[in-house]
Amino acid sequence: MRSHPGKSGYLRLDGYPSNGLEQVSDSGIDKAFLKDQFPELIDLSDSHHAPRSQQGDLLTLIELPQLQAPQHAGLTGMDPRVKNQLEALQLHPDRYLHFGRDPELPNKDTLEFKKLESFSLSLNASVWDPPSLNTLWFELVNGAYGDVYRAKALMNLPDGRSMFFNWIVSQESSQFLPLEEISAPNGRPASLSELVVQGKHLDGLRIQSTIDLCLLNDAVLEMHQMPLRDRQKEAIPSA
Amino acid sequence: MNHAIISCLHANLPAVEAVLNDIDRQGIDTITCLGDLVGYGPQPNEVVELIRKRDIATCQGCWDEDIIDGLNACECSYPSQLAERRGHLAHQWTDDQLTDENKSFLASLPTSLRRDRLLFVHGSPNSQHEYLLPDMDAFAALERVETAGADILFCGHTHQPYVRELRDGSIRVRLQNADHDCDQGEELTLPMRKIVNAGSVGEPRHGSTNATYVIHNDTTDEIEIKEVPYDVGRTCQAIVEAGLPKVFAWRLSHGFEFAEQAEDASHVCER
Repeated sequence: MRSHPGKSGYLRLDGYPSNGLEQVSDSGIDKAFLKDQFPELIDLSDSHHAPRSQQGDLLTLIELPQLQAPQHAGLTGMDPRVKNQLEALQLHPDRYLHFGRDPELPNKDTLEFKKLESFSLSLNASVWDPPSLNTLWFELVNGAYGDVYRAKALMNLPDGRSMFFNWIVSQESSQFLPLEEISAPNGRPASLSELVVQGKHLDGLRIQSTIDLCLLNDAVLEMHQMPLRDRQKEAIPSA
Repeated sequence: MNHAIISCLHANLPAVEAVLNDIDRQGIDTITCLGDLVGYGPQPNEVVELIRKRDIATCQGCWDEDIIDGLNACECSYPSQLAERRGHLAHQWTDDQLTDENKSFLASLPTSLRRDRLLFVHGSPNSQHEYLLPDMDAFAALERVETAGADILFCGHTHQPYVRELRDGSIRVRLQNADHDCDQGEELTLPMRKIVNAGSVGEPRHGSTNATYVIHNDTTDEIEIKEVPYDVGRTCQAIVEAGLPKVFAWRLSHGFEFAEQAEDASHVCER
C-alpha cells in the first residue's frame, strides 16, 4: 500500500462457519491500524464507497476469515457465498490462492488446527502500565494462558501513544508498531483498543484477571500524565 | 578447600533438597546461603526448617526482610505494576503460612556475612533490594566491592549466575575547592576483584529449569557454577495446589531467561 501510487481501500468480508469451526468476529483492529497509517484509506464496507470500474488505480486489501483449506484448487475452490459477496461489489477474482497449498504464498504462515478457540476483549479507555504490558504479552505468546497461534491488539500507553501488537506462532517474534495518531496525555484516550487471541485451551478468565492487574487506575494514570503535560507547557514559548 | 554458596531458594523444597544432595555428594561441608528462603514457592516452612536443621550460615534476603518488616519498601522493589501485585499476593500467602518460630529465624539473619576477604550478601553490600547485574557499569561494580572491603563479593538476587572479574581497576578521586582555588586528587590502583552471583536454587531464570549454585575453592580462588536438575513438576503441582498464581508454576517450568528489570536496577530503596 505504501508503494502504490493510487488510492487504497480496505474491505472486511464475513466468513462462514463450517465443520464446527468457530468463526472469527471482526475486532476492527486491522481497519483501525490501516486507517491510522493511511488516513485516506477508503472503507469499502461503506456502500457509498463500493468499488467502481472508474477507480482502476484502487488497491484493495480484502480480509476474509477462513479457517480451513479449500477442497479444490483454483477458483473452483472458492466458497460460492464469498464469490457472491465479491461480485456484489463488482469484484471478479481471476486467481484464488491459499496458504499451505499454493507455492506463491509463504508456507511458514500456515497453521493447521482442527478446532480454533478465540478470545477477544474490548480494552477501550484502558491504559496500560508499560512494563506490565511487556510481561503480559511475553506470557501470552509463550503459552502461559494456553497455546496461542495468533494474537493481535491495539493497546494504549499513558503518554498518549497507541501500539499495534501482532503475533503469529510461525514467526520468530512479535511485531510492535506505534500508531501515528497520539492522544493528548489528558485522561483516557477515545481510540479503539482491543485484544484478540486465537489458539487452543485458552484460559480467558486468567488472561482477563492478569490484564486487570496491568491496567492503570485514574490516580496512577494522572501521576504518569501530569509531568508530561507540564513538560509540554514548558516547551511552548511564552508570548 | 571447597565451599558452596546457594541463594534464592524461594520456598522450593525439591530444588533445595536436590542442590544439598549434590553438595553432599562432593563432600563439601561448608555452605553459605545468600537468603530469600521464602517467596513465590509453596513450601516456605519446610525450606526454612531444612536450612535451620542443617545449620547453614545464612544472610537475609529481600523476601526474608519484607516478611519480617512488612511491605514498606517503595515501589522501586518491583519493576512493574503486575510484578508488584503478584508479589503482594505471594507475600500475603507466605506471611499466612510461616510459623512464628520460622519468622523469628528470618528476623535473626544478618544482612551480610564475612569470611576473611570474602563477603556474602543477598543483593549488594548496600541493600538486599539492589541488583548487581552482570552488565552493571564497571566503576559502580568496583565501587561496591571495594567499599565493602572484599576481594570477592558473593551475591544473588538476580537469579542469573555469573562470575565477573574486575581487572586493573582504579578509582580516581578529585576534590576541587572553589574558595581556595586548589585541586586535590588521589588515584587508587586496585588488584583484581570478583563478583560472583550464585543464581537461584528455587527460581532459576538463566534459560534452563535447573537449579544453580556456586563452588569456590578458597585456596585457588577457582569458581564453578553448578547446575542441578530437580523435579520441577512436583514444585509446580504444589504451587497450584497451594492456590498460588498458576503463572508462578508456568514461569518455573520454563526457566525463562526473561525477567522483568526495573528501569534503574541499582536504585536503593530508601525506607
